Amino acid sequence: MIEAAGLVKTYGRGRALDGLTFTVGKGVTGLLGPNGAGKTTLIRMLATVLAPDEGELRLLGRDPAGDRLEIRRRLGYLPQEPGYQRGFTVFEFVDYVAILKEMVERRARHDEVRRVIEEVGLTSVSGKRIRTLSGGMRRRLGIAQTLLGDPELILLDEPTVGLDPEQRLRFRELISHIGQDRAVVLSTHQTEDVAALCNRVVVLKAGRCVFEGTPEEIRALAEGRVWFSAEKSGVLSWRTGDGLFRNIGPAPEGARLAEPTVEDGYLLLLGGTAAEAAA
Amino acid sequence: MSTWHMDDGLAVRYADGELNPTLAASVEAHLLACDRCRSLLAPRVPRSRLDRVWAEVADAVDTPTPGPFEQLLRAIGVHDHTARLLGATHSLRLPWIAASTVALLFAALASGETTRWGLLSYLTLAPILPVAGVAVAFGRDGDPAHEIGLAAPYSMFRLMLMRAAAVLTSSSALALVMGLGLLGDDWTVAAWLLPSLALTSLTLVLSSRFDPRHCGAAVAATWLVVVVATNLREPSLAMFGGAGQAGYLAITFVSGVLLIARRREFS
Repeated sequence: MIEAAGLVKTYGRGRALDGLTFTVGKGVTGLLGPNGAGKTTLIRMLATVLAPDEGELRLLGRDPAGDRLEIRRRLGYLPQEPGYQRGFTVFEFVDYVAILKEMVERRARHDEVRRVIEEVGLTSVSGKRIRTLSGGMRRRLGIAQTLLGDPELILLDEPTVGLDPEQRLRFRELISHIGQDRAVVLSTHQTEDVAALCNRVVVLKAGRCVFEGTPEEIRALAEGRVWFSAEKSGVLSWRTGDGLFRNIGPAPEGARLAEPTVEDGYLLLLGGTAAEAAA
Repeated sequence: MSTWHMDDGLAVRYADGELNPTLAASVEAHLLACDRCRSLLAPRVPRSRLDRVWAEVADAVDTPTPGPFEQLLRAIGVHDHTARLLGATHSLRLPWIAASTVALLFAALASGETTRWGLLSYLTLAPILPVAGVAVAFGRDGDPAHEIGLAAPYSMFRLMLMRAAAVLTSSSALALVMGLGLLGDDWTVAAWLLPSLALTSLTLVLSSRFDPRHCGAAVAATWLVVVVATNLREPSLAMFGGAGQAGYLAITFVSGVLLIARRREFS
C-alpha cells in the first residue's frame, strides 16, 4: 500500500523528515513518535497534500507526483485538527465532503452518505448541527468522511487526542473494525493506542524511522531491562503507586524484574530524547 | 362507494406509466380506497420501478432540508452539489451579507451628503467588500474543511474560482442595487465595478502564494492608501475616469493570466 524510501522534507533550516524509509501493508499501522518527530508531515505527505523534497514514495502502487488524483480517489484522510462547517448538520457535512470526492449523482451520493454515517453510529444525530455534537461524536464524524467511497487507504492524524477513556475505547473499536479489510495508518504518541489497535508500528525520531515491526517486537526490546527497585536508576525512572521505582535500563542493586510494555520499548528506542523530555 | 373498478388494460397502462396525468390522478384516488384494484395492480408494476420510486421517496424523507441560501441557489437553477459547496462559504451567508449591506448603506448615506468626498467614499468602499468576501471564502482559515479538501480529488482551484465568482456576484449586485437606489442612475454610480474586479483578481493571484486573509487585507489597505493619497488635496473622481478604468481592466487581465499560470498552487 505504501512504499517510502529516503523521504526528506525541509522547512527553512529544519528537516521534518530526514531520509525516512518504511513500508505499510493492509491492517492498522501506528506511526509512533514524540512531538516534532515528523508524524504530521509524513501523514500530510501520504495524503498527497505535501510533496517530498527528496526520496521516493509510492502510494497504492502509484507515484503521487503523477497520479495524485487517482490516489486521492482511493484514500480517506482525517487531519490532526479537522475543521467542520459548524452550521452544517452531520448529513450536510458528510455530503459536502462526498461532493469533494467527486460523487455528483445526488441519490447515489446520499445513499453513500447514509451508509458511512450508519457505519460510525451517528444515524440518530444525522440531522443535528455539528456545533451541538460532543468531541467524541465529532471524531466519529471525522472518521465517517474518511470512509466515503470505500477507500483502500485511510490516514488518521492523532485521532484519539482529547477523547475521554470511554470515547477512546469506542474509537478503538471503530478503527479496528474499519481496519479489517483495508490499510489504516494512524499517527499517535499514545503507546496504549498502538498496543490495543495496531498490527504494525513505525517509530519516528527526528524525522527518521528508528523501528519498524509489530507491537510485540517493540515490547520485546525492553525484555529484561525494566526493573522495580527502592532506588532510582536507569535511563528513565519514576515512582509507582506502591512506593517502588520503575526503572528502564540496567538493573539496579536488589531490583526485581518487571514485565515490559510497548511503552517501555518505545521509551528505550527514544533513549536520550525520552530522558530529556522527562527531566 | 363507487362500483367502478379498473380492468386489466387500464392496470397495465397505469403500471407502464402510459396514462395522461388527469386519468392517472383519478386512478390513484380510486386506488387509495379500493383493495380489489390494488390487488389487481400490484403484480403488474415492474419491481425495478417500485424500487426506484421507493428510493426517491426514502431520499426525500431522509435528507435534511438545506438552509435558505442553498434553497435559493437551487431555485435559480444551480445544481444541488454546487449549491452545497457554495453554502459552506462564510461570505455567502446571511450575517456577512447583512454586514455588507449595512456598510454600503452607511457609505451611500455619506456619499449623499455634500461633503468634499461625496460619491468618492462610496466608490472607494464598494470594491473592498468583494475583496474581503473572497479573502474569507477559501484557504486554511476561511474554509474549516480546507485540509480535508486538499486530499480530495475535487479541484481546489475550481472551488476557489466558483466561490470567488459567487461572492463577487452577490456583493456587486448588492452595491449596484444600493447605488442605483440611493445615489441616482448616473453611470458613475457603477464606476466601482472594474476596480472590484481588479482588486479581487489581484487578491486571488496573491493568494496562490500567501494566506488569502493577509492578501485581502493588504490589497484593501493599499487601495485605501492610494485613494486617500491621490485625493488628499483635491478630491475628484479622476481615478474612476476612462484612463483609470483602462488601468483596472489591465490589472484584471494580467492577474487573470497569472492566476491561470499558478493554478496548481491552490491544490
